[in-house]
Amino acid sequence: MTATSPPSPPAHAREHEHKDPGAHITPVRHYLAVLATLLALLSLSAISALFSLGYWNTIVNLAISVIKTLLVMLFFMHETEARALTRTTSALGFIWLAILIGIMLTDFLARSLVPPPW
Amino acid sequence: MNAMNASVSEIESLRERGLLEKQFDDPVQQREAATLGMWVFLSTEIVFFGVLFASYAICRILYPQGFAAASRETDMLMGTIETAVLLTSSSLIALGVRAIKLEQRKTAVWLLAGTAALGTTFLVMHGFEYYREYTEQLIPGLNFARGGPYARAIELFFCLYYFITGFHSLHVLAGVCVIAGLALRVARGSFGSERFTTLELTALYWHLVDIVWIFVYPLLYLVGRSG
Repeated sequence: MTATSPPSPPAHAREHEHKDPGAHITPVRHYLAVLATLLALLSLSAISALFSLGYWNTIVNLAISVIKTLLVMLFFMHETEARALTRTTSALGFIWLAILIGIMLTDFLARSLVPPPW
Repeated sequence: MNAMNASVSEIESLRERGLLEKQFDDPVQQREAATLGMWVFLSTEIVFFGVLFASYAICRILYPQGFAAASRETDMLMGTIETAVLLTSSSLIALGVRAIKLEQRKTAVWLLAGTAALGTTFLVMHGFEYYREYTEQLIPGLNFARGGPYARAIELFFCLYYFITGFHSLHVLAGVCVIAGLALRVARGSFGSERFTTLELTALYWHLVDIVWIFVYPLLYLVGRSG
């Protein structure tokens, strides 16, 4: 019987008690399934490149790369178990890059459409 | 003794064993702070490689046929195998981190050694590619010799090719060294279910290097392969 009650842990510590992302153990078969999917997607991108699809070749290959990246991030980098702050931060690098390349291409591609007035 | 008392005394014990720095409330908070910091560093890596991809985008828009002709000069089979090697190495290091969380040290050592070995395989294969390009006179500034209407564009492509794959290979080399060092430390018993953040963060770095290659592969090796 204790005279004083123990100090209550801070709110975020209690939140951690329910969910510790680092302690989570994913079954081996999940990793192997992800690897098999990644290798299947790799074959798909290699084979699709051999067909003449015009600019769709590039679109298909980049779409496959995005799917592969999402698989690696979600399952190998454990984003499915990460907290919202970590997930947001990990997405930010890619979003920032997309903004930079997007704005650059907007300028570059519009130069031929809208010639300068001078 | 109730659960809360246990957790308070556990935390004291973690601090005494040097597993918990004083600015953190518990190991979870400490690990999350480290993961967050790692992601901030990885974001700078994303932007670093992003600059090279941005230059690539501009040049490819300017010289679509030249870039297709240049991409056909690369070794698609080697590129595809290299991609498979890196993807497999990523799954090995993920399994290695899992093993150390379960205190399976021996398995973890082998998985980390396997990751480093696959990384080395990647570098050796790339070395053979560079050598073949040297014999085929494709290296700008060294022995580039291509004629025809697309010669300048092909030279530009190979400049970007060497910058992108060169910086990527440096990242792979750094990763191989760090992972091999960690494999030794795991073998000596430096890591376990309570101390694995270093491994987890190195794995994050390795996965990012893999992600960079996932984009390098179609952009450098797969352009203009049809017809």
